[in-house]
Amino acid sequence: MDRKEASDGNRLTLQFIYELSKYNKSMRIEKLSIKAVTIAIFMMIGIVAIVLSLFAGSYFRQAALDAQINSLSRVIEVASQETLRKVSKHTFDLGMKLGHNKRLIQALQKTDIGVDQARLITLLDDPFINGFAGFAKINLVKLRVYSLDLELIAESSAGITELKNHLPEYLAARVIQRSKTDRLKAIDALWLSVKEPLYSTLVPIGGLRSVGYLEVIIDPAFNLPDIGNITKTPINIFSMTDAGIDTNNQYNKNSHLPVKFTLLTSDGKPAFRIIGYENVEKLSKEMKHTQTVTTSGFLLLTLSTLLFALWLFNRFLFVPLGRMVEGMKQIADGKLELTVNKKGLREFATFAESFESMANQVKIRTNDLERLLDLDDSAILCFGHDGEAVYFNKAAIVLFGYLEEEISELDMNDLFPEDIMELMKSFINKSSILQKNATHVRVDCYHKGGNVFQSDAVINPLETMSGFGYTIVLDPVANKENDKLPKHVVNTIEKNEQRMHAVEQSLNSILEIARKNPGLISGVGYIEPPALPGHQSDDDKTLLREQAVRVMRCAMECWEHDLGKSKLELAEKSKIWPVYIDKSTPTTRTLDKYLHIDSCPKNPRSQRVIDTAEFVLKQSGKQQTPHQQQLVEALQSLRQLISGI
Amino acid sequence: METKRIQLIRFSKVKVLILFLSLILSFNLNAYDKPRAPEAVPGATIVLAEEVVDMILTNPKLIIIDSRKRTEYIKGHIEGAVNILNTEMMMEDLESIASDKTTALLFYCNGTLCIRSANAVTKAVDWGYTNIYWFRDGWKAWTEKKLPMVID
Repeated sequence: MDRKEASDGNRLTLQFIYELSKYNKSMRIEKLSIKAVTIAIFMMIGIVAIVLSLFAGSYFRQAALDAQINSLSRVIEVASQETLRKVSKHTFDLGMKLGHNKRLIQALQKTDIGVDQARLITLLDDPFINGFAGFAKINLVKLRVYSLDLELIAESSAGITELKNHLPEYLAARVIQRSKTDRLKAIDALWLSVKEPLYSTLVPIGGLRSVGYLEVIIDPAFNLPDIGNITKTPINIFSMTDAGIDTNNQYNKNSHLPVKFTLLTSDGKPAFRIIGYENVEKLSKEMKHTQTVTTSGFLLLTLSTLLFALWLFNRFLFVPLGRMVEGMKQIADGKLELTVNKKGLREFATFAESFESMANQVKIRTNDLERLLDLDDSAILCFGHDGEAVYFNKAAIVLFGYLEEEISELDMNDLFPEDIMELMKSFINKSSILQKNATHVRVDCYHKGGNVFQSDAVINPLETMSGFGYTIVLDPVANKENDKLPKHVVNTIEKNEQRMHAVEQSLNSILEIARKNPGLISGVGYIEPPALPGHQSDDDKTLLREQAVRVMRCAMECWEHDLGKSKLELAEKSKIWPVYIDKSTPTTRTLDKYLHIDSCPKNPRSQRVIDTAEFVLKQSGKQQTPHQQQLVEALQSLRQLISGI
Repeated sequence: METKRIQLIRFSKVKVLILFLSLILSFNLNAYDKPRAPEAVPGATIVLAEEVVDMILTNPKLIIIDSRKRTEYIKGHIEGAVNILNTEMMMEDLESIASDKTTALLFYCNGTLCIRSANAVTKAVDWGYTNIYWFRDGWKAWTEKKLPMVID
């Protein structure tokens, strides 16, 4: 009972693995290895790092240029203030000199009583005519005299015209706010006239005992080019109407960065637009160098880290996993005595131990089942759906006289008359597979030595997870006494039936393991994936047979003509086809059947044919011969036919 | 014995060198300490620029003494100021322009970093003048405030 339960459990496990493998086959992800995915992820990280570093470099360059623009803008601002300060000093000095001019004071005092305005105008025109100290440093455009109440008394006839007849509003407002003593202090401002921005300095006439005010008006545009001397950069100056004031400075558009600065009047209105040109050639070179160094460093660091991480992955993930998978494959291929390499991370070790434990259980149970079947007196034979030998117990091996390693090469037709397959299929059709009814018949059996003997047989259709097969339990009758035969046969058959039921489940598991893992069980050959009964039409079968014969003939022609070897050598070297010794003469009986359509089995073992063709192609190497070409085409057609079926 | 003597001579040479360097260093350090005008001079009243203007306008007898060099005076000075360099100022010079010891005297020089006017004020106090005003902020503050000046 325990054994049956264990067998059921094992079958369920194998079925689960089988279903899982079927499910996985439909997924494309199975084509990807962990190593490939990891390398792809690392490459993506690397590419992202490269793109980010390029972006960062670009932003860094822009930020550096912005900083340079801000810096030069600030420098131009300071230079402008410095220029205006110098202008203020010059106008103040001129104002002080004229303000202490006794003739001007006297003329102004006389004007108060309404006389000598002409004299006043003459005095105001004098600096324009005769010059003054600092004449070259400022561009004097007007001199105007005001009363203490800031009323315009007189102005120079020389200089610009179209000025309003009063003090600029900004200056007037500031003077009015001042106390008496503070009004003695000179005051200046940059302001907008009707035509252009002007600079005025208002000083008291008569010194501390002032009798009026003198306004010295100059054109600041005359002094603004000095800004370029301070900043040591070429500058161009424009009015706010974009009229060029000083635009003669030469600069290279490729290497100079334009920096705009607006010079405001004292009351905050735009007066001049100054464009400085910063030579950023050196800066660009330095930025490029810095960018190259930082980007290269970053990339080097990133790639080094990625490579190091990849090495770690390889050391602790890929290599242990590869070893483990390789070990598992070998165990799955039947080498149950092997162990899985457990050197790896904890999860891998656990996984490997679990797999090894499962493999051990499979091994133990397989051995148990084989031993159980070997202990039986009856000859038990298992065949696949197309009659290929899958398993013989010891009694069967002894009964038919074959060696254990020859079993995988046998067909049902090698052991029984050719109509045995039809007989079995008729049993299947008569009785449902699911009901598992055994059929009792007496059949002729072929011994390896050529003798024919009769045996009672219990033929049992066997359902497996991947299709169906046949189990035949034989009990020879040739040497038994005739009177005891019926009873003995009946007893044996009953006994065998009971045994069959007991081992059926376990055998099912063995068959499934053998089907999935050829070579796992000794004496079990390759089992082709079965088709459901009735699924293949007769036409398909005929086509398959014809195509199999064609492939085999092409293979033989290629083998004999291109390689110059015999059919017997093909069977021996390929180890695909059995070689029989008939009267001391080696023969290839099974292979011969596949060379003629008449002798070819109704259910040809197409995998054998394909293996033969591939073996011949492999042996013939890369030489392109007509025979080889025909073989390739025939093989391709066979494969297409099989896949179509 | 001879080697010991050589060693002693060498040692004393090193000591002298260190002492010499220390002296140079101390002189250099002192050179960076610019002299500043004292916060106050006993016997003198400190006045600001605006107060100077008021004094000039309200007291016609006020005597203004510019203690700077002549070259500085020519470039610009307060209206009515007399140029007498502090080091050249003698009691007789002062008495010639202010025989009355109670006459209001106003001294100024270049500003707080200039000690000429402070020195002149000290002299005037010592000579018995009792109505002394000291424009400590001096010419620097006057020009910064753009007050009227006389340029010769």
